[in-house]
Amino acid sequence: MSYIKFENLYKSFGPNEVLTDINLEIEQGQLVTLLGPSGCGKSTLLRCLAGLETVTSGKVYLDGKDITNVDPKNRGIGMVFQQYSLFPNMTVLQNVMFGLAMKKVDKKVAEQKSKEMLQLVGLGDKLNQYPAQLSGGQQQRAALARAIVTEPKVLLLDEPLSAIDALLRHSLQVEIRRIQRDLGITAIFVTHDQEEAMVMSDMIHLMYNGQIEQSASPTELYTKPRTSFVASFIGHYNLFDAATMKKLTGEDVECENVAFRPEIIEISKKPIEKEDAFLMKGTINVSLPHGNIIRYAVMCGDIQVDVDELFGQSELFESGDEVYMAVKKSECIFL
Amino acid sequence: MTKKTDKGSTIVILLIIIYLLIPLVVSIIYSMFSNWTGIVPQGFTLKTYATLFQDHEFLASLGRTILIAIVPIVLTIILVLLALFVTVIYFPKLEKYVQIICMIPYTIQGVILSVSILSLYVANPTFLSNRIIMLIGAYCIIILPYIYQGIRNGMRAVNMPVLLEAAEMLGASRIYAFFRVIVPNILSAIVVSSLLAVGIIFGDYVLVRNLASSAWPNVQIYLYQAMKSDSMKSSAVFVVIMAVTFLIAAIVLYLQSREKKGKKH
Repeated sequence: MSYIKFENLYKSFGPNEVLTDINLEIEQGQLVTLLGPSGCGKSTLLRCLAGLETVTSGKVYLDGKDITNVDPKNRGIGMVFQQYSLFPNMTVLQNVMFGLAMKKVDKKVAEQKSKEMLQLVGLGDKLNQYPAQLSGGQQQRAALARAIVTEPKVLLLDEPLSAIDALLRHSLQVEIRRIQRDLGITAIFVTHDQEEAMVMSDMIHLMYNGQIEQSASPTELYTKPRTSFVASFIGHYNLFDAATMKKLTGEDVECENVAFRPEIIEISKKPIEKEDAFLMKGTINVSLPHGNIIRYAVMCGDIQVDVDELFGQSELFESGDEVYMAVKKSECIFL
Repeated sequence: MTKKTDKGSTIVILLIIIYLLIPLVVSIIYSMFSNWTGIVPQGFTLKTYATLFQDHEFLASLGRTILIAIVPIVLTIILVLLALFVTVIYFPKLEKYVQIICMIPYTIQGVILSVSILSLYVANPTFLSNRIIMLIGAYCIIILPYIYQGIRNGMRAVNMPVLLEAAEMLGASRIYAFFRVIVPNILSAIVVSSLLAVGIIFGDYVLVRNLASSAWPNVQIYLYQAMKSDSMKSSAVFVVIMAVTFLIAAIVLYLQSREKKGKKH
């Protein structure tokens, strides 16, 4: 049986329906991501689980119990917010101890536990500092320690890393994942960053327009997008409708859209002969290095095709070069 | 160029300081010299102050002024905090109306306010017709805009909704979270608006004269009486009032800065 369950959940703010018929189940011990563009309802869904928003209709279950109308303070859920939310008038240690004090845990025990938790998140030497004296990353670590020290049933993370610079964000992603695994805690992570979702999750629920568009593991979501939206949101897919495909390859396809990833395209200055493949011809418009890959924007008439090549693995092309491309039909996704 | 501007601004600031200090300095000199008819005052004496501080009536009036400042300020702070707690958390849409209501006293003149209060309450004797209670009520109204605006600005500076939600997720009730987390963070705003209110109440004569001159003769009433009889004494009273105001501000700001320092170390 699932640990967390949303059943026919609807949520409206006035006339705006933000969540439409959400049915979602989450297993215990997993780190699950709600991914989607801003305004898709992912944060609202998280806040419905936290109890910070009331639901318009539907049910929320946690650990077999209906918690739809339970107060947030009685749900046993920990949360890390997008904005820095440490209490400015308290030290880091006092912040972490706050939740335990609310649970009436003995002060000495609470202090011991809080210190251990701060050690775990790497803030063992910042116990007596005030939030204003910490960097953004340190504040979010402290907020994480504060949320998990009370041993909540679920940990909710509402875009906690969005205000943190890229380098630190990567190390914190790894760290959050490590802590979540070590403690075996069920966690729900909200983000609009698909790379972040890929790195961190056991399972991704991609949301769009207040609905779950696709629920899958990161690999499955990447390789088998079920709708055009998923394909366009995940992994820079080249996404073309049937008419455009006809213009591009001269072939008719029996579906609405065809999607293929930039890295599966074969590219060469010489004509390519291949069976069961779409063949295309175009001119290199720009080449952009992205770390270890180089991305070419190839113009086939007025249609742009993105092609990714590993640096040093193939010949390099320059703007204006005429190129031939091939993509195996078996690797295309027909939507 | 910068130096020139620096010099210019220094001169302007100095002029403003002189302009503001002249009345105080003149009063101090006037209260300490028995004869000031030429340019240089003559006959230095502290006798006026000695007599003043031996006068029980003066000390009592000073005490009354301090007391009548504290009670309305505390009452208004509690009232505004509770009102803002309810509006910000439960009825955010009503906040603009609360603001309008709290701003109305800006436009009410002391004379109008005191006359209205008298005509409303004196005719029907209830506990509200008590002169001192009327005076406290009037002061609460007069200082309301300053306290409201100060506290509201303080609340805007801290991210109140997120802090309250964070506390709630940790198991605190909203009201507990408000007083344990929000109020300590807006303490400096509360202090500053309270000091402003002290200044306003210390400077009031109209309300206390009209509402409670005999029931609660405070230092302003005493000053008025002194002005009629002895100008040197009235200068001394004025100087003492100023000194007490400065002292209160200094003590409060010192306590606040000590607390802030404590947080940093």
